[in-house]
This record gives sequence, structure tokens and C-alpha cells, in this order.
Amino acid sequence: MIAANFDYESPRTLSEALELLSSREDAKILAGGHSLLPAMKLRLATPALLVDISRISGLNYIREVGDRVSIGAMTTHAEVVSSDVLQRSSPLLPQAASQIGDTQVRNCGTIGGSLAQAHPAADYPAVVLALDAEIVAVGRGGERPIKALDFFTGMFSTALRADEIITEVRVPNTEGQRVAYKKHHHPASGFAVVGVAVRLKASAERIDTVAVGITGVSHNAYRAVAVEDSLRGRPLGAIAAAAARVANDVDVLGDYYASAEYRKHLAAVLTRRALEQAAGVRK
Amino acid sequence: MSDFSIIGKRTAMVDAAGKTTGAGKYTDDLTLPGMLIGKILHSPFPHARIKRIDSSRARALEGVVAIVTGKDAPNPYGILPVGHDEHALALDKVRYVGDNVACVAAISEAIAENALELIDVEYEVLPAYFDPEESMKAETDLIHENKLHNIEKDYHHVFGDPEKAFGEADYVAEGRFIANEVTHAAMEPHSTLAAFEIDSHTGKPGRLTVWSSTQVPYYLQHKLSLVLDMPMAQIRVIKPLVGGGFGGKSEVIPLEIIAAIAARAAKAPVKITYTREEVFWAHRGRPRSIIDLKTAVKKDGAITAVKARVVQDGGAYCSYGVVTILYSGALLGALYDIPNIQYDGYRVLTNKPACGAMRGHGTVNVRFAFESQLDEIAARLNLDPAEIRRRNLLKPPCVTINGLRVQSYGLPECIQQVVERSRWKQRKGQLGKASGLGIACSHYVSGAANSIIRSDMPHSTVNIKIDRDGGVVVYTGASEIGQGSDTMTAQIAAETLGCSLGRVKVVAADTDLTPIDIGSYSSRVTFMAGNATLRAAEQVKKQIASAAARKMNCAPEDVVFREDKVFRKGDTQGQSPTPLEPTQAAVSVSGRVEGQILRGSLQQKRKEEGQKYFLTFEEAVVAAIDFHGALTGTGSYAPPPEARGGKHKGAGVGPSPAYSYSAQVAEVSVDEDTGEVTVHKVWAAHDCGRALNPVSVEGQIIGSVWMGMGQALEEEMVWKDGMLMNPGLLEYRSPSSTESPEVEPIIVESVDPEGPFGAKECSEGSLAATIPAIANAIYDAVGIRLHESPFTPERVLAALRARKGAKPINLTEGVDPTAPRRFREHGGALWFRGKGPERHPLDPARREAADAGGDD
Repeated sequence: MIAANFDYESPRTLSEALELLSSREDAKILAGGHSLLPAMKLRLATPALLVDISRISGLNYIREVGDRVSIGAMTTHAEVVSSDVLQRSSPLLPQAASQIGDTQVRNCGTIGGSLAQAHPAADYPAVVLALDAEIVAVGRGGERPIKALDFFTGMFSTALRADEIITEVRVPNTEGQRVAYKKHHHPASGFAVVGVAVRLKASAERIDTVAVGITGVSHNAYRAVAVEDSLRGRPLGAIAAAAARVANDVDVLGDYYASAEYRKHLAAVLTRRALEQAAGVRK
Repeated sequence: MSDFSIIGKRTAMVDAAGKTTGAGKYTDDLTLPGMLIGKILHSPFPHARIKRIDSSRARALEGVVAIVTGKDAPNPYGILPVGHDEHALALDKVRYVGDNVACVAAISEAIAENALELIDVEYEVLPAYFDPEESMKAETDLIHENKLHNIEKDYHHVFGDPEKAFGEADYVAEGRFIANEVTHAAMEPHSTLAAFEIDSHTGKPGRLTVWSSTQVPYYLQHKLSLVLDMPMAQIRVIKPLVGGGFGGKSEVIPLEIIAAIAARAAKAPVKITYTREEVFWAHRGRPRSIIDLKTAVKKDGAITAVKARVVQDGGAYCSYGVVTILYSGALLGALYDIPNIQYDGYRVLTNKPACGAMRGHGTVNVRFAFESQLDEIAARLNLDPAEIRRRNLLKPPCVTINGLRVQSYGLPECIQQVVERSRWKQRKGQLGKASGLGIACSHYVSGAANSIIRSDMPHSTVNIKIDRDGGVVVYTGASEIGQGSDTMTAQIAAETLGCSLGRVKVVAADTDLTPIDIGSYSSRVTFMAGNATLRAAEQVKKQIASAAARKMNCAPEDVVFREDKVFRKGDTQGQSPTPLEPTQAAVSVSGRVEGQILRGSLQQKRKEEGQKYFLTFEEAVVAAIDFHGALTGTGSYAPPPEARGGKHKGAGVGPSPAYSYSAQVAEVSVDEDTGEVTVHKVWAAHDCGRALNPVSVEGQIIGSVWMGMGQALEEEMVWKDGMLMNPGLLEYRSPSSTESPEVEPIIVESVDPEGPFGAKECSEGSLAATIPAIANAIYDAVGIRLHESPFTPERVLAALRARKGAKPINLTEGVDPTAPRRFREHGGALWFRGKGPERHPLDPARREAADAGGDD
């Protein structure tokens, strides 16, 4: 339970951090430390250099910019939960953040760290997908906004390049739309066995906009396109049948807690419930 | 005014301050000059012969002081005299993934850990057994050569005439129940610090002192003596604060002996603290049990016979196994009146960590089966589930068909209480969709009437010493493990001596100082150490009374001790109808002790205070010390012969001087879409004889309900080819206060004739009722009968589908072995080094993978 030896740097500026990150092949960014440090203690991760970005000022903020909300990468889950701006303008994020881990995890873990880790059962990935968010990465070549849809490429894999650092997450203002996050958490780890994030604009007769982000079910979070396609332009009554398609054409994972079949079933149930909650037909 | 000053009062734990401020010391908090850290190399294989161990590379590492293996201490041991089948470090064979192979003592934990990877072990892998029913068929590659068919022990008991009763029954229920394996998950991981006195001339190790997180210092001292070939008198075992045991520290755990072996080799103190993963490997928890149960009843619900066949998956060593399998049969009795019992119990060895004693030892799984089946019978006979239990009550005092003596019996009131408080009659069946109520009962021993050590010595002995200033020191071998042992001891001493609780200091669990007590397990402390404390206090009190009687001019029998005052019977404090003559108080009693320095000044003080109608506790103590010299008393307790059970083979396990009783009602709801069960409230009534400290009793009841709820809903050790898939608290969840339902603890006091102040067990008995109460509530809510615990969402959903005749769901069968990485990365937050053969640093397969450019 002791990490292998490593070097440690805590730069004060982003450019120093980028420099350090590129200086060694096995350098790693340390944000909240909630995923990396346990892996290091078990010697499953043995980075030679840790670049602690917690002392870089200006990476921790939540501010409204036009019709978007920008969130600094070092913003903790707890700060997301308690943000008035987000509660008002884009409540899906705080709704999901309040269900991450426990108080200690929410106080340390950061949005940038969680997204970069891309744990297949983390909560944020489903949310940024459902929100069509943008993840801003900065490398030595400059700033690069990455669409959430393009960001998650596999288990623990993202579109982030080795020399890039996430600096910001941009989510749209969802006023006028309805959102919901439903989760079955693993009783011990608190991770999502299944997590469903939903964004919806609909009247009783017709669903205009629908986005469904799913986490926990497969190698990485994904948009349930089959569900969305069968709901767009349809009445709310179509939800139940549509939700059953949530894991169509998806490689569903199984583990000792939940078999693939149970997980798939759970995903359908939670998708239906999240959609119904967003549509206002379920509490 | 109640009869008691201290007993029955809500009393804060006497050791609470140190624990809550962090000032209290647990074993891992201790350090000694020159102390080394020990790390253990564990087996990556479930069953293998050790061909060769080469530790030369590790020895060469700077900072490594000693490396020990099985050869350094070849004597076998085991907690039971019939089960000496363990070596702290494997001698020739490893028998489970995690078995102990070698230990490195080094100047730092990091160096010790690095050194482990440099020890080369050559194994010859043997076929392994993981399923008890398969293991029972084994002919070759036995886990222990002397255990045919890998059966540790089997028992076959017949009491009465069960065949006849089954023949004459109106209805017979039959079913198979499975309770999966669970572990204690105590907050404090095991930790041991061992230090030898080193002779400065010869350099040879002399006396050994061991600080350890143990529930039974005496057993540890005994086993250390056996393994190290040292007289017990040369070994001192001290128990610092312990952060929970639940049975997991009630036997000698390998690290406790390994630390001593390493300290001897290193000639320096060695401390070993298990990681959480090692705690899971050390285990000794509740075995997976396969229970085939048959119950015969008459139309009116009277149980006429029970037949149980129990197979327990005991893991690789005996541990407490023989006791567990016997408890499972014996405790079919003493709860209800069952005239005919047949029991067939098999304790089976498998290549997994050994199971041992865990809260509710032996009774919990069988109780789940029994109470579930009784519920089925009630439904079948159209009887109220509470009523069928009432119809089968014992009529104490009595001795059951299997030889258990029952005297105090609060079960009827327990049932009454939970039925009333839950408004059972009005609400049962009326809670609406997918919500329900369930009831179940349970019981447990107040300590075993027969000790596992075959000897006639008392089970507990306590010494008391009182100083001239009135400070009372109680020396007890009973182990405070968080359950309130020290507080109970202080309360009983203070109540008996009529002094305030603050005067009492408890010195516990130090084999050099405290007399023998066989430890904190099977809920024996209050009953046995409590009785010994009571007797020791009474002996001292007699000495004080005789001295005080002289002062107060009355008979010793007429001296009353209460609230730090000593006065004559009939007098109320400070208001004596017949004032003591001032001269009487000043009369110099011709004591046997000469040259008391204080005597003159105290006499002067008394004169100045004038006439007195009572003596303060201190004055009485001084008077007694003046007369007797040292003021000490000893008390001991041995269960009476009539409580020790029958004569059949295995009759020693089950008998207890008294049994506790519990009844619980659980209220649950079931999410029929997902299979999730939510427990909303549990009404838990427990007959503890007399509640010496009600707040402590309530805490034990609530804790038992949580632990029972954990086993009922989510706790399960999941195995794949001998590998534990969830060896951490981020994968294996015990409920905590955050997920606790509302628990209403209800204390029932039957006042046992032999318990101290009438007290008996209160920390284990409640647990067994929780699991079936929840199972029965689920039946009430959605009409499914769950035969396998825990009732995970997946199992509940499968049962719901089966009931509806819907397409069955494919239940999880462990993990896909071809995709271990998938589990590792997905199943929880953490990844465990050494989780299994393919991942252990020493596994050749892993090396090959690494050589081939594998990324593991």
C-alpha cells in the first residue's frame, strides 16, 4: 500500500505544467487524486513524475458566459453541487454531482480529473454527453475544444493527447428544457452500476429535443442514440418502448455485482424513469 | 429510588474519551525503539506444494533485517485442541490464495514491501477444491492428509423420534436454503507488535511481550507458547484498544505469531499491521452454508419435528469450524419447543481462507432457514406468523430435548412488544403495493458452558484491589473490544461496592497483570466476567464491612454500601436515629498493620469533623486496610454442572448458563422493476436479562440489526477459483449509519437467576432475527420466498420473474474468467495487486506476460 518512488512538481502556471508534462514520458497530472493515488498505492500506476495542478490559479471557477456555463477543470464536485449558477442555468450537472461517491470524494474530486480518468462507471461522462458539453484541452499547440461526443473513446481512454491538460468544461444553459439523472449505485464503491442522464424538451404531445447519456453499462459512456431516435417527434407515451432500446448494439459489461443481462435490464428501467421524471410524468 | 445506583443507568463508556479524542492507543499506534515493520508474502495459488523458497535476493536488500519462513517455527497450532492444523507460515503446502509463506522484517514498510517481490518461491500447483459439495467427493490431493474426503468433521444427532413425528405430521415443509459467506469487516485491521527482551551478554532472546488486536489474550499467550516452544510465563500478551472484533479476533490470527517469529529472528521488535485486503484473506468469518431443512407441524401450527442437513464451506483450516457446525445443530433447540430433532452437519474443507467465529456464531444461517420456513408454514396453515411462534414457545424452567437448560425466557414478551409497537395486527397486509412486514425470532448463548480448553478452571477470574484513597482497581482478563466490557466491569464493581463509577479503574487484558479469562466471544463477558467481578467485589466488601461494622457498632451484615457512603441498615444517609458515639469512631481498632502513617492524622480529622452517622467510602476503606493490610479480593465464575448439557458426542457445544431472546419485525418495500429492497424500519426486542447499561444494550441491538441487514441485502464474499473478487471495503459493503433504517430497540428484562444482577447476552442474539425478518417482509410485500442470501437486486428480480412465469434472468456466476481485467477495472474503484494468480508479482504467468510485452 505504498506507492513506488516518484518525482513531484507543483507548478504555478499552466505553461509550466504543460512543460513538465511533456518533459517526461511517464509524467501524470495530479488533480483531486481520487483515482490516481489509490492506483499508485497499489502500484498499478507508477508514474515517474506527478504534476500537481492544484496550485495553478484560475482553474477553479463556475461562470456564465453567454448561453453557456464554463466550469474550471479544478472545480470540485462539491462546488458543482452548491453552485447557484449551475442550479439555475444547468441543473443536470449538480444533480449528478450530488450522487458521486460520498462527502469526502465530493470535496476532493474534480470535474477535470474525473473526465480525464474516464472511468467507465463515473457519473460525469453521462452528463456531459447528455448536455452536448465541450471539454477544453490545452496543449503546447494551444487550446482545443473537444465535443463530449468525441471525447470518450474506450475504457479509461479519451481523445485527450498525452501532452494536454483539461482546463475547462462548457455546458449549455438548459433553461426551458427538463433534465434528470438516475443512478443505481454500487453499494460499496458508490460508482454507477448504471447511470442515466437525460435532457428533454417536450410537450405532452411531442418530444422536440431529447438527449440520453449512459454510464456504467459499457466500456465507456455513450449516447443512447436508439432511444433518442425513437422519441424525437413522438409523444411522451413512447418513452417506455424507447427506453428498452438503451443498450441495443452495445457491449454490455458484467461483473460479480451485476450480470450483463441484469445491467441491461437496469439500464432500461432507469432510462424510462429518468425520461419520465424529466417529462414530469414521474416524481 | 431504584434498587440500584449505577446498574440500569445510561452510562457513557469508560474508555470513550480516549477513543473520541484520538488519544487512545490501538496496536498500530504503538512504536518501540528500533522497531521493524513486518510484511508477509502470501500464496498466489489456492493449493500448491512449496518446493523451494529462495530469499537471498531479498536478504541482500539494504534495510532488510530478517526473513522468516515456516521452518523457523514448525510447530502446528489451531484455536481448537482438535484442530491443530495451521502453521503461521506454511511449512510445505499452501492451501488458499493468501496463505502465508514468508515474512520480511525491515526498517521501513516500503523496504519490506519491496523485499517481498525479491523472494523466489517455487510451487508445485495442486488441484484445488472450491465447492464444498464437490470437495466432499475428493479422493486425492486432499487439503489435509488426515481429513478423508476433505471433511473436517461431521455430526449426526437424533433426539426423540423424528421419523415417527414426520409420519404423523399434518404438514411437512421442505426446502434448501443457502446463506453465502460474509466477513466481520471490523473497523480496525489486525495488528501485532512483538518484542523480545534481548540478553545483553548472550544476545539471546528472553521474555516476549506481544501487543495485539485480540479478543482473547490468554489464547494468544497459549498458542505463542506452543509455536515458539516457550513457557507461558515467559510470554506477556497485552491488548491495547481494539477497534471491533465480531469474532475475527477471537482466535489466533497468523500475523500474531508471525510477528513474534520475525522478532525472534531479527532480535528487534517487529510490528505487522494487515492491509484491508489481508484482513479479508485472514477472514475467519461466517461460512457459506447449504441448509436442507424439513419441518413437521400439526394443523394448529405446533412443530413436532425438525430435520436439518447443513454443509458448511469451512475454507482451508479447521479454525473454530467444529464448534460452528455443532452450534448450527444445537441451537435448533432452546428457542421453541421442538420435541424431535435430527441433525446432520458437515464441516467441509475447501481451498479458500478459513471461516471461523462471527457474531451469532453458528446460529445465524440456520436461523434464516428455520424462520423463513416457519413463515411458509404459517402461510400454508393460514396462521398469523406471530401467532405460530407463540404456539411453539418453551415452558421454562426446562431442559430441551437436546440437553439445553433454559431458565429465564423473555421471548413471549419480545414477540408481544414488536407486534404491538409495529402495529402488526392493523398494518400487516395493509401497507399497499410492494410493501410488507415480516417477523422472526432468534436467541443466543451467554457464553459457552463448556470452554474449548478442556480443563476445570473457572472461565473467568477477577481481582480487585482498593487503595487507601478509596480508588478501586479491577483486574480482569476480559477484553474490551468496543462492546463495553470495561464499562460493564466498572459498573458491577461500583454497584456492588456502593462507590461512584469514577473511583473504579479497570486494568484489563494483560496476561502479566490480569487473571485468566477466556476472552471476549460467544457473548460470555457480562455473564461470566461480570459474575466474577461481582464475587470479587463482594469479597472485598466483606472485609470493608467487618471493619466498618466495628466502627459503627453493628453487625457486618447490617452495613450498607451506597453512593460512596457506608451506613447501618435502616439508617438513611446522614440521618442516624442512633448517632454513633464520637468515641466509637475514634476507637483505635487493633489492626494487624503497624506503623500506619496516616492513622494519626485521619483520627484527628475525624475528631474535628465531630459526630458522624456514616463513614465515607474512603474512611471505611482506610479502616479495613488498617485492619487487613492490603485490601484485595478475588472472584471467579464457572458455569454450574446442570447447565453443561447432555452426554452425546458434541454435546459440549450449545449449552450455556443462560440464553438471550429476540423478536423483530421488519418493514420493507421492494422495487419490482429493479429488484431493490429497502428496509424502512426494524422493531427489535431483545431479552438481555437485565440491561446493566441500557444505552449500551440499545447500541448492540442496533448494531446487530445493521450487521444482519448487511448479510440480508448486500454482503457476500464472491469467489472465482479460490480468488476473492471483492477483498476491500470499496467492493464489499457493510451498512453504516448512513444507510441504516430506523431501528427501534426494545429492551426486555427477564432477570436471569444466575446472571450478574440478572443480566445475560445482548450483543449477538439479535442479529440472527434480522435476516429472516427481512426475508419474510419481502414475502409479505411481493409474494416471493428468497432461499439464498444476500437478497441482492438481481436475485430478487430473478425471483419476481420466476413468480410471474416471465423469462428468467441470467444470474451472475462470479466473473467471466477470460476477462479479469474487465472486472478489475469496472467492478469497483480499486484494483488489487495479488488479487489472483494471474496478477500476483510472483506468478510465472504474469512474468511471461510481462516478458511478452504484456501491460499488466
